[in-house]
Amino acid sequence: MAGEKTIVADVDRSFYDFRYEEKDAFRVAEGLTPAIVEQISREKNDPDWMRAFRLRSLEIYNRSVMPDWGPSIEGLDMENIVTYVRPNTRMSAAWEDVPEDIKSTFERLGIPQAERESLAGVGAQYDSELVYHNVREEVAAQGVVYTDLESALRGPYADVIRERFMKLVPPTDHKFAALHGAVWSGGSFVYVPPGVEVEIPLQSYFRLNAPGAGQFEHTLIIVDEGARLHFIEGCSAPKYNVANLHAGCVELYVGKNALLRYSTIENWSKNMYNLNTKRAKVEAGGKVEWVSGSFGSHVSYLYPMSVLAGRGARAEFTGVTFAGAGQNLDTGCKIVHNAPDTSSYVNTRSISKSGGVSTFRSAVVVTERAENSKSAVSCQSLMIDSDSRSDTIPAMDIRTDKADVGHEAKIGRISGDAVFYLMSRGISEEEARALIVSGFAENVSKELPLEYAVEMNNLIRIEMKGAIG
Amino acid sequence: MADKLLHITGLRASVEEQEILHGVDLTVNRGETHVIMGPNGAGKSTLGNVLMGNPAYRVTGGSVIFAGEELLRKTVDERARAGLFMSFQNPLEVPGISLENFIRTAVEQRTGQRIRLWDFRKSLRRMLDVLQMDESYASRDLNVGFSGGEKKKAEILQLLMLAPSLAILDETDSGLDVDAVRTVSRGIEEFKKEKASSLIVITHSAAILSMLDVDRVHVLVDGRIAAEGGAELIDEIERDGFARFDTREA
Amino acid sequence: MITVNKPLANTFGWLHGNGTQIEAPASTEEITLTAAAGEERIVALPDSPSARITVSVAENAVLRLIQVRRGGDGGVCDIHVDCAENAHFEWYRVVLGGAASYDNCSVTLRGDGSSFLTELGFRLGGDERYDVNCEAIHLGKKTRSDIHAAGVLRDRAFKILRGTIDLRRGCAGSVGSEMEDVLLMDETVRNQSIPVILCGEEDVEGNHGATIGRLDEELVYYLASRGVSREQVYEIMAQAKLNAVISRIPDEETRLLLTENGAEGETI
Repeated sequence: MAGEKTIVADVDRSFYDFRYEEKDAFRVAEGLTPAIVEQISREKNDPDWMRAFRLRSLEIYNRSVMPDWGPSIEGLDMENIVTYVRPNTRMSAAWEDVPEDIKSTFERLGIPQAERESLAGVGAQYDSELVYHNVREEVAAQGVVYTDLESALRGPYADVIRERFMKLVPPTDHKFAALHGAVWSGGSFVYVPPGVEVEIPLQSYFRLNAPGAGQFEHTLIIVDEGARLHFIEGCSAPKYNVANLHAGCVELYVGKNALLRYSTIENWSKNMYNLNTKRAKVEAGGKVEWVSGSFGSHVSYLYPMSVLAGRGARAEFTGVTFAGAGQNLDTGCKIVHNAPDTSSYVNTRSISKSGGVSTFRSAVVVTERAENSKSAVSCQSLMIDSDSRSDTIPAMDIRTDKADVGHEAKIGRISGDAVFYLMSRGISEEEARALIVSGFAENVSKELPLEYAVEMNNLIRIEMKGAIG
Repeated sequence: MADKLLHITGLRASVEEQEILHGVDLTVNRGETHVIMGPNGAGKSTLGNVLMGNPAYRVTGGSVIFAGEELLRKTVDERARAGLFMSFQNPLEVPGISLENFIRTAVEQRTGQRIRLWDFRKSLRRMLDVLQMDESYASRDLNVGFSGGEKKKAEILQLLMLAPSLAILDETDSGLDVDAVRTVSRGIEEFKKEKASSLIVITHSAAILSMLDVDRVHVLVDGRIAAEGGAELIDEIERDGFARFDTREA
Repeated sequence: MITVNKPLANTFGWLHGNGTQIEAPASTEEITLTAAAGEERIVALPDSPSARITVSVAENAVLRLIQVRRGGDGGVCDIHVDCAENAHFEWYRVVLGGAASYDNCSVTLRGDGSSFLTELGFRLGGDERYDVNCEAIHLGKKTRSDIHAAGVLRDRAFKILRGTIDLRRGCAGSVGSEMEDVLLMDETVRNQSIPVILCGEEDVEGNHGATIGRLDEELVYYLASRGVSREQVYEIMAQAKLNAVISRIPDEETRLLLTENGAEGETI
């Protein structure tokens, strides 16, 4: 039962901020050259087409420009980023076989415990490779495939992957998509057969341990006609004083009448550049639900995109972003209505504190084909102090008259009356403000399984208490 | 002799896949005043909205002949131009269009010919006078910032100006102050001056009925006509409520 | 080529979010408007193709600027306003077509207690384009901005409105609000809306809301129940949206002119 979970009340940042000495077996040199890309490809034993794909992506990377909007990424020097770090182990399906320091990392993050209690399958990535992957027998028996992408590339789904890999997010999409195409490593492949409902969630956890490294995992999920899946993604890293880079890519294929919920609690350390690209294509009657909590990283560019490609397809995006000291988090979403009777619903909250910058950036496009479509976007921002910034930059592009598009946004601060009221009931000011901010972020926490909601509230608490007194 | 204006047979209708009307039969002759009573949720407002053609309701069976033609095949505006009127419980606010200009447009649509502004203003002033409404109402934007009572008055003003052959007044008396009730009853009186005008009053209370000359009362319970009779039914319902008509509990 | 209507913040660098590139207009009028301390002025400018207008509103002064574009080739209108303490500036802008029009209205609320109101109405059809940038930069304390826009697009008309409320650090007690309401009448129109709020101060309120698309079905039903056809309901509402803006213009002559010119339509 959910209610039996204990709440870890006194977590501080060091909960995520521990590290083990590197004992990696192999790492490429810093920087990015065709030789390095070929070396990664060889190391990973890529099929030929993938090797060619990587080299082509590198070319695209070299000729594409840095984004001219959004937060500065000047502190990120690709010459200093190690794009591939293989931990000193091969992937295993039993925690006992995982080396002690790595296992202990995931133990401290609570992953094996969560797996035992509430997950249908777990993948754990350490730096560039998965070190653990396992799925419950009864789930596997339903025909659900949950594996690392590398072995899937050589397995029975090789052709399916080749057909879809980086088709939703082509390397030409932007500079960091191209980078991803060149050096991607790790990540998961999930296939849910038609009509299969996976009742408890699958989870992947990404841990970046090596300083100055990049993590470029690729997640490819196919939920076939009428099937259902909840996929959870978690990420964290210890803090170093050199820049780390995360340029992952998530491609979700949601079939006819299928449902995919994709939840993320992102808590990268504050030296991380998180330039992640996520995209879903939803067929007729299908639905994608994004639940997204962004707490970590130094700089984030994150706008999960939903392409509503079939009649009656739906997208929901629920997000919260908390930007504290030293953070510039540019988050939001993109929705493209490209079929009749499609609908989208976006509900986000952002919080800025102690000099943090949060930006909500979105785009809703309704094309000529999307008659009778509906879209509602609501975003709210909370300014905790005047050292911080909170910007809201939504865009709407409507190309049919048969649409209903609504948008609302609000920026404000914590109500003094609410703090006073809570304090009059004996709650300290610091606690009262933390409570109010947790309540503000409830749109996301109430969509998460309990243990993740607890983790999220702890993150808010850490951020809120860090600043007062 | 009876001259059928409205003839409903076996009318069934649903909202959001749930059937509300389970086969309603009802006939209104020209010049008659009918009352539809019933407890909350019986389907009274549904009946009015289905007759008017509210797109939120789906007709699943039956027929409605109005002035000799099938009503259910007509669009909402065609029904209005055929002589049907319904007062809304919650009339919508329309900024940028004055009450006067709106009524003039609607009247021109109904009659199919342009009216000289002077003639229109004259008859509008007369009706405002009958309803003892201030002339300034006419230049205000349609329902914008109107109180509940003012909205009801504006509905009655539209009724008089459009002069339909059948008016459905849906809970027009609910939640009104004395002044507004007086306006509504004056409006009904004026409307009924035209002998052939028919009226359906939908209500769950009997308050407004005392000043009406009621020909027929229909009791609607659980989407069906549970009883019919003359004005004496009103007193009975006042006294005993609807319990006796509720067959579900029998 | 010059870039006009470059916004204070970009959106992804697409959807015209970075401004619009056009040829510089050949002859641009230079206009300077001032309202002296305590003065109250209404200025209705004649419809000129292109103008660069510099406005300065002194302490406790009010300046109301009225501009109507009646069609033609369009042009570029670039307005920069500076508001001193308790100064109030209003911009009434009615755009009844124009092949390609670009409006920029940038208001700096420098003085404490200064305020800015925009009433923007547009009606575009054919292949007309309207590109408008409206920004309120809140510097002073207790400043207020209200940006209201309403209009109608038909045929292949294109419109983009970037409305930016920029609440700078130090503008404590300020409020910025933006509302947009666009009625789309043909399947070939294109509407873009980018309502931006930038916020660097805690003690502020910023709001924006937008409704874009077709009419509310309940409203169509209500008006149709009085005998008005669906097409005409759209006509009426198109007119109503513009009328709502016109009726707020604080200059009777302009209002009458708009009425006589058919801006208020035939039946309504």
